[in-house]
Amino acid sequence: MKKLLILLGKIIIKVLHLFHRNAGNLPGIILWHLSKQRCCSIFKVDCPIIAVTGTNGKTSVTNCIAQLFEKSGKKVIINREGNNLDTGICSLLLRHCDMSGNVKADYLILETDESHVPVVYSQMRLETLVVLNFFRDQLDRNGEMETLIKKINSFCRAFDGNLVLNGDDPNTARLGLANPKNERKIRYFNAERYKFATDKTFEASEGHFCPFCSEPLEYEYYQYSHIGKFICKKCGFGDYEPYITASNIDLEKPVFTANRHEYSPKLNSIYNIYNMTAVAAVGKLYRIKPEIIEDVISNYTVNNGRMENFMLGDRKTTLNLAKNPVGANMTLRVMNEMNGDKELLFVLNDNVADGLDVSWIWDINFSIFERVTRVVTSGTRAYDIAVRIKCSGYDPSKITVCPDLDEAVAELARTEGRKFVIANYTAVQPTRQALKRYSENGGKNNE
Amino acid sequence: MSKIKILHMYADMLDLYGDSGNMEILKYRCSKRNIECIIDKYSIGDDMPYFPEYDMIYIGGGADLEQQHISSDLVKCRGGIKKAYKNGSFLFLICGGYQLMGKYYRDADGNEIKGLGLFDYFTVAPSSRKKRCIGNIVVNTEITGNPVKVVGFENHGGQTQGVKTPFGSVLYGNGNCSKSDAEGYFEKNVIATYLHGPMLAKNPEISDYMISYCINRRSDTHIKLTKLNDKLEKDCRRVMLERLLNK
Repeated sequence: MKKLLILLGKIIIKVLHLFHRNAGNLPGIILWHLSKQRCCSIFKVDCPIIAVTGTNGKTSVTNCIAQLFEKSGKKVIINREGNNLDTGICSLLLRHCDMSGNVKADYLILETDESHVPVVYSQMRLETLVVLNFFRDQLDRNGEMETLIKKINSFCRAFDGNLVLNGDDPNTARLGLANPKNERKIRYFNAERYKFATDKTFEASEGHFCPFCSEPLEYEYYQYSHIGKFICKKCGFGDYEPYITASNIDLEKPVFTANRHEYSPKLNSIYNIYNMTAVAAVGKLYRIKPEIIEDVISNYTVNNGRMENFMLGDRKTTLNLAKNPVGANMTLRVMNEMNGDKELLFVLNDNVADGLDVSWIWDINFSIFERVTRVVTSGTRAYDIAVRIKCSGYDPSKITVCPDLDEAVAELARTEGRKFVIANYTAVQPTRQALKRYSENGGKNNE
Repeated sequence: MSKIKILHMYADMLDLYGDSGNMEILKYRCSKRNIECIIDKYSIGDDMPYFPEYDMIYIGGGADLEQQHISSDLVKCRGGIKKAYKNGSFLFLICGGYQLMGKYYRDADGNEIKGLGLFDYFTVAPSSRKKRCIGNIVVNTEITGNPVKVVGFENHGGQTQGVKTPFGSVLYGNGNCSKSDAEGYFEKNVIATYLHGPMLAKNPEISDYMISYCINRRSDTHIKLTKLNDKLEKDCRRVMLERLLNK
């Protein structure tokens, strides 16, 4: 039966390719229905599997971990495009297996959606799970935060592999206590206080209470959102021995130290420091050569709408994806920390993959705007984001609503100065395309 | 200068779906009219406030876990909130705040959280967590004297029954129960609703109804609110109404 399913899956991929269609998810969906919803159980994987999950940073960390092994001369299979549900992972393995379902590689490195970790790894043996953070994200799709964490927690209760956890996020650190028998395989990464850390949090956040004894958690500092040094005074939750710590963080260079090495990453945000510390932790765990770890961390950059630069004529423009308030607040901070006047384009969609509920934009703190001289809004919810920015006290006469993206980009480029663009999940690719179209046509596509 | 005092309860815990935005909107609309708007916060561990001194008491929605945390604290506030309500303070309640003012809330596991019992309705969550009412919602309400189509977003498992005076009738979406006709609960000084979005974002008439109530509740003369430019808000609502109702 399994062989039949694999044959069928491979035929579907061939057919899709014949019609030049993307086979990233559809073959998996079909097999999901035919395999009683266990579409990842049909493969035979003998190599170690490393999975990366969490709300923000999965794609970056997965790619970097894959590079650690590739640069060490290993054969790696990875879901680079971020097809991270069971059906996406099934489609990936279909492309890489033989007719008996054997997957041949040295390592499988899989970005895995938070809600699908228990689903996928009840079907395939997982060696290492990296958990980056849990933020409110697409609540209408994922259900409430607590429900999601409980699902992963019950998976961890029976998990006897390596757990690499963000020790500065109480939502992920708590997973380390799920299976006491596995204690020696739990590794926490964390980061020391950086320049812009605060004593209080100013952003709507999770994790107010100790998950074990319900006492309010006490924070020594917040790096951003609810990420920081916390402790439960009653039961001691938060008191752990870190496996690796990022210290001497200086975002202006940017540079940080971890495991006695100094790293100079290309991206200068605190959440990138956390991501790279997670990468360094996996490097240490798998005894990757120090020079390879350094090479990967110092060269990693992204061209997929994550702090990506464009030129609109002679106007420098930076695009960043923000699919939740934490991401958006971080972009606003980066924007503020830059000198001079600037203009912002915010593209907000409410497609299924974004979450239909856009109320999260009200958790973005726009009152910190500094020297933002004009705002353009676009996307299927262009007016919602305009209203939100207006009610933060921003002068509505400086807000222009252009639901059409090409019009919005042209409107943004009309005036001089530094430009920033924030786009949410399904908006980011169309926005990149529109920015490219504009810069290639020199702005003539809309005149 | 007129003045409004609002007590925002459990802002740090019941803030799951941007509900704090409602406070930002009320403050914004007051400031544009030179009405002083003071928003005090109360949460677990704070000194018990004197509730009747507030013109409005506001409670947002939260996750089940947070709701359990606050429910025992809320019971301690029962006397104060009831007194304020009887004295004419406005109660503005979203989702969890709405549910907890009724008789009880029975969650998906069958645990019963006692409500404050200010109103007769009660809420029961279906045993399957998957059966939630989630999506955009349009409610027609006549509380301002004119019909207003209110647009928001609902996301609740609980089914609220026994409401005799709803906030409005459902034109699109679910309302108090799955596929029901009525949404929320209303008295002249109570708006209780499942609408997030936040609720007031695209519905300036509702904000103004509450502001007007609050500044006039103690005086014999009626102060009329100055009109604001609500073009963005109304365009925002129009786009959603066209999308949801013209199918």
